[in-house]
Amino acid sequence: MYFVRLCSLILTLSLLAGCGDNLLPSGEDQRPPVQTGTTGPAVGQQAPVFSVADTNGNIFTLTSALANRKAIVLYFTMWCPICDAHASNLQEVIPSFPTVGFYLVDYVSGTVADARSAMIADGFADSGFTTLADIGNHLLFGFQGTMGSTVVIDSGGTILLNEDYKDGTRLQAVLASLP
Amino acid sequence: MTTLHAIMRHAFSTSIAAALLAGAAALSPLPVQAGSCCGGGSATSLLVPRYAWGVADLSFDTELYDGYWNQEGTHKSDPPGSDLRQYRLNLGYAQRFASDWQASVTLPYVWNDNSYSGLSSRSNGLGDTTVSLWYEALVDNSAWRIRHPQDLIPGITLGLSLLLPTGISPYDDVTSSFDVTGRGFYRLDGNLLIEKTVQPWNLSLQLGYGTHFERPVNREYGRYVEPYHKQLGDRFSGSLSVGYNYYLGAGGDTLTGTASYVYLHEGDASINGSPDRTSGFHKQSFGGGLTYSNTDRDWSIRAAWNHAIQENGWGKNFPTTDIITVGVRYVFR
Repeated sequence: MYFVRLCSLILTLSLLAGCGDNLLPSGEDQRPPVQTGTTGPAVGQQAPVFSVADTNGNIFTLTSALANRKAIVLYFTMWCPICDAHASNLQEVIPSFPTVGFYLVDYVSGTVADARSAMIADGFADSGFTTLADIGNHLLFGFQGTMGSTVVIDSGGTILLNEDYKDGTRLQAVLASLP
Repeated sequence: MTTLHAIMRHAFSTSIAAALLAGAAALSPLPVQAGSCCGGGSATSLLVPRYAWGVADLSFDTELYDGYWNQEGTHKSDPPGSDLRQYRLNLGYAQRFASDWQASVTLPYVWNDNSYSGLSSRSNGLGDTTVSLWYEALVDNSAWRIRHPQDLIPGITLGLSLLLPTGISPYDDVTSSFDVTGRGFYRLDGNLLIEKTVQPWNLSLQLGYGTHFERPVNREYGRYVEPYHKQLGDRFSGSLSVGYNYYLGAGGDTLTGTASYVYLHEGDASINGSPDRTSGFHKQSFGGGLTYSNTDRDWSIRAAWNHAIQENGWGKNFPTTDIITVGVRYVFR
């Protein structure tokens, strides 16, 4: 029995030793320097161009989305509880920024019809958002998005924010700082 | 006759422990954040019966996602064509180190398996580990009939559990929420288990209150961000279960059936000290389980099902799932 206990202890310690950064989390700022003038998903970079349909089949490009706007916001959703909570919270922000375009990016639906069904089922039709059906995941990969990712792109195509929505505070701060 | 009576008493007292364990197994593994979207990999409470010094447990959970409650408590469907699952293999061991004291550790290994009409993902990794310390304050004498006042005394067990963030969290070097197997936070829980058996019935109440520790965050899904501090909300869990022991033939094997109600609530998280109103949740669910124990009560096998009611008002900001568990347990005497 001593052997069993010893093996259990060794197994436990081995597994714990292989864990990630969570056991001793770091608060050090390790953001890489911004590489202006390059294209990519990071803050300060030029946003990758895209062409994607909304849930009505209309094609949106980066250029058309930014036309006559100070900025656009892309929120990546997979129609989950926290996505719903974030989008509802974000919806309250929309009236405060009439010159900003707000987009929900559905990166899990395989067709425009599926994206439209999900949008309606979750109550985001006529919500102030335009829902983009990211068929092929061009937006997902281009912006390295995932559930809750929130991207702000200014009128010049520069990425101002690309991180988790959290409570929306940072997003509002970025939008409030728009010229 | 005296010998037979002693054997029966032994059988009954050991079955109480089996029932208690079955109840604990059915109730304790509250599915902490579900699967692919928010982390997962829950632990299972593990208690050593009074007559033994150790318990080893192996269980396998299949969690099937089917919609969610939004922040208003309205039940919503998952996107068309989605099939979302999480599998967990839980390895647990508990050791009695004094007459009334015991400790346990549970390590889950998690597989995420998510398919949508436009995207599929499969990933796996270690989940969050739980280490626990338990004190048996009062022992239920497992009366067959209430003959004396002391027969009414319930078993009371007090516990402390520490959740270790050994899983893959959003703050690790991962690129997708689909890869998450843990939440990334330490949590300390105080647990109270009250159990009373009057053969062949068993009633148990388990309450837990936990607080997460604040941590710094400098990375989200592999991308370094401006550092901030985050703390998940306090968590309350409660479960009530009733069990019935059925003796199979004259050999002493038992089949224990358990029905349970489970409530789980977690308050809002905070970011840099400010509450995050999008984060709190609660969930209600019902469960049922069957446990078969052999005559010696050293081996037992079990199957359990936990079901979240897919109706408005039974939860908030949380997925609705069915959890099917099968497990095997060995008691060291």
